[in-house]
Amino acid sequence: MNKFNQLLLLVALSSHAAAESILIKNADIYTGKTVLPSTDLLIVDGRIAAIGNSSQKTDRVIDGSGKSISPGLFNADTHLGSVEVSAIAPTVDFYTDNPNVTASLKVADAFNPNSTLLPYNRTHGLTHALSVPEANTGLFAGQVSLIELGNQPRVIHDSVAVAMDFTEHGVSLAGNSRAAAMAVLRQNLADTIDFAANKRAAMAGERRDYSLSLADLEALEPVVSGAKPLIVSTHRASDISAMLALANDYGLTLIFRGATEGWMVADAIAAAKVPVIMDPIYNLPVSYESLGARLDNAKLLADAGVTLVFTGMGSSTHNAHLVRQSAGNAVANGLDKLAAIAAMTVTPAQLFNANVSGEIKLGAVADLVMWGGDPLEMTSEAELVIIDGDVVPMASRSLQLRDRYFKATP
Amino acid sequence: MRLHSLTAAALVTTMLVAGCDDSNKTIGEPVLPNKNPFPSTYQVPASSALLIQGANLLTGTNQQLDNTDLVVENGLITAIGKDLQIPEGATVIDASGKWLTPGLIDVHSHMGVYPAPETSNHSDGNEMTSPVTAEVWAEHSVWPGDPQFEKALAGGVTTVQILPGSGNLIGGRGVTLKNVPSITVQGMKFPDAPYSLKMACGENPKRVYGSRNQLPSTRMGNMAGYRNAWIEATAYKKSWDDYVTGVEAGEDLDPPTRNLRLETLMGVLDGEIRIHNHCYKVDEMAQMVDMSKEFGYKIAAFHHAVEAYKAAPILAEENICGVMWADWWGFKQEAFDMVRENIALVDYANACAIIHSDDPIQVQRLNQETAKAMSAGRRMGLDISRAKAIGWATLNPAISLGLDKQIGSLEIGKNADLVLWTADPLSVYSHAEKVWIDGALRFDREDSSVQPTRDFNLGIVNAQESRP
Repeated sequence: MNKFNQLLLLVALSSHAAAESILIKNADIYTGKTVLPSTDLLIVDGRIAAIGNSSQKTDRVIDGSGKSISPGLFNADTHLGSVEVSAIAPTVDFYTDNPNVTASLKVADAFNPNSTLLPYNRTHGLTHALSVPEANTGLFAGQVSLIELGNQPRVIHDSVAVAMDFTEHGVSLAGNSRAAAMAVLRQNLADTIDFAANKRAAMAGERRDYSLSLADLEALEPVVSGAKPLIVSTHRASDISAMLALANDYGLTLIFRGATEGWMVADAIAAAKVPVIMDPIYNLPVSYESLGARLDNAKLLADAGVTLVFTGMGSSTHNAHLVRQSAGNAVANGLDKLAAIAAMTVTPAQLFNANVSGEIKLGAVADLVMWGGDPLEMTSEAELVIIDGDVVPMASRSLQLRDRYFKATP
Repeated sequence: MRLHSLTAAALVTTMLVAGCDDSNKTIGEPVLPNKNPFPSTYQVPASSALLIQGANLLTGTNQQLDNTDLVVENGLITAIGKDLQIPEGATVIDASGKWLTPGLIDVHSHMGVYPAPETSNHSDGNEMTSPVTAEVWAEHSVWPGDPQFEKALAGGVTTVQILPGSGNLIGGRGVTLKNVPSITVQGMKFPDAPYSLKMACGENPKRVYGSRNQLPSTRMGNMAGYRNAWIEATAYKKSWDDYVTGVEAGEDLDPPTRNLRLETLMGVLDGEIRIHNHCYKVDEMAQMVDMSKEFGYKIAAFHHAVEAYKAAPILAEENICGVMWADWWGFKQEAFDMVRENIALVDYANACAIIHSDDPIQVQRLNQETAKAMSAGRRMGLDISRAKAIGWATLNPAISLGLDKQIGSLEIGKNADLVLWTADPLSVYSHAEKVWIDGALRFDREDSSVQPTRDFNLGIVNAQESRP
């Protein structure tokens, strides 16, 4: 590497240290925890330097009247970085046909920072996401990563949790009976415990045959110790209860994903302090495990004291930024607006130990969006997006296509 | 059976001349297949006159009328204006601060044919046993008990076109339904609505049949498949035209043998059945247009037209509607070139732009999808009003269905299909508060007695209650 390239690299690594200073005046600031109506926000060197009246001279002043600011959006259920075109198999890396790779499947290993989905979603205000593997040969899907969609998209944590599927789909991979799936699961956990206690012998092939590959057992070791969360996809109220009981038996740290019938067992979920990753948009009995689907599931869970983390519009990956639309619908169906915003900003950022706080607060790295109006309205566009201190260019393949074909009539 | 199609007078003639009610032979009067063997049994319910006072109207015709009254009598809109008199016996709704739009129309729905729960026992939307199944009719797969219908109603959707899926080149007839509860599909059928025929371009048919090593496995195979079908249909139509001409000239002729598949295609060639064509890509749209000219039929609409913005001049020139999502993309290659401005750009080119769902979740919030499409257009500097945008979900879909004389706008003489919104309908916080179809209140967010629930929901979550 020559001197010039080294210099470029340094500039790239520290880009927000020299970033322009920006003053946004009179916007409604949704901090992630509260709202500050018509307030100034000063960003200097990629950090929030002042909230409230500021007279500091800046490179740029933006009139934020009628606009709003929120923390950058965080969608906790996507396949970002591991899919380009869903129907083109070689572009899809979030599941495998290999039965020996379940819990050990690490989607971070496949992360593609050049995916067109990343610039598209960041121009619409998505700054962070979980990238979640899907089960395809057994109950365990793999390891969940936390990614950032900044100008250089990257994996922040390559394994924030292990994902497991106890929906009808997961059960179909484990003998087509919930009872069989429970038996398989207990065997998997017992094998992991045995493996962990006898690792050297196990690796040498001197223990009994295990129900999972050694790589999978190793990936589950921090799950059975309770150190790493197990994200369990499940919908039916009785399945949620069964998972709570199992977690209690084995000392697992649970996070639910889905929980369509969560409202029916909301108190138990709250008592077990299990957060729920959910899309508030579901209200159809699409299967017999989700007969209780209803639009106020988010509100009812929140009322019971459950910690909510959102995804959006059918857990869409290509439109992961639409977590905002689902949040808006949750509010339209009774959820407190600040709670809805927290569920796609500060709550997941803290739960998954992101590199940003998910909050707009003094001294924090700026990771935020300025919206053309109310942050949850579909008529509000992302007008300024700052990810981890850097202003994001409003550029994407989609915008290039638009501009190629648009011919203004004279 | 044939006699069902005859008028009473023709029936008498037939019996006198032939002297036998099951004879194939007639003189002077051709015996034609019944074109409406499953007629609508929908009746406009009797309801009192209605005065909705002081709402902000988005008429569907690119007009916003603030603080305006609207009167409904006998199921029709009879007056629109300021300070209208209360008709005798009218129900009066104070709608000040609220918004009134035409009932929303979804021209691409699989409710009923792919109902909830999505179990194989009643997933009946795609007859994927042959690439051309023009003989199947979506209405014969519709389960009227699908609990998805009432959720769409709660989202302000009053009319839906139910289409077969896109696994086949020619998938079968679609049917237009009023979104009312009924134990039979006939009770939902929009009286006298034209039939449609679903065709599909691109990846789906070639994947389905290519995987079985049969035609089509390529896009050129797709084109060959459609053209072969139209050639057969052309010959079939000629056999019937010759028969009718001959009989009318006094010849003693047997009618041709009926062929359900070709009968539907003949309906297209006769201009009675409207083509709704699943087609994502501009190059394929252009080929479909040429093919329609080769065989002399008209395309009503291209559905899922992700590349409609590239095709906008063609759509405008050929008078074909573009039916689009606000922002779906990336699930397959032909959906990769999505721009959020698609609908706005088609509209800007003065082509007929329509928003659709193809999805039982999206159909519940076509207003939000419309908001996204409008906002994307505004972002690039296009001047699109709410009044303009709401037409994408109301009048334009009605045009594509051939029903714009009856529905799709707030105009005097039109069916009173109305949605009263709690707030600006393009707001995410807005709800459809009341929904009328033909002047009858069919949904009321404030009154649980006017919230239809399908049989499926009763006692299924909890023995004492209905599914919420």
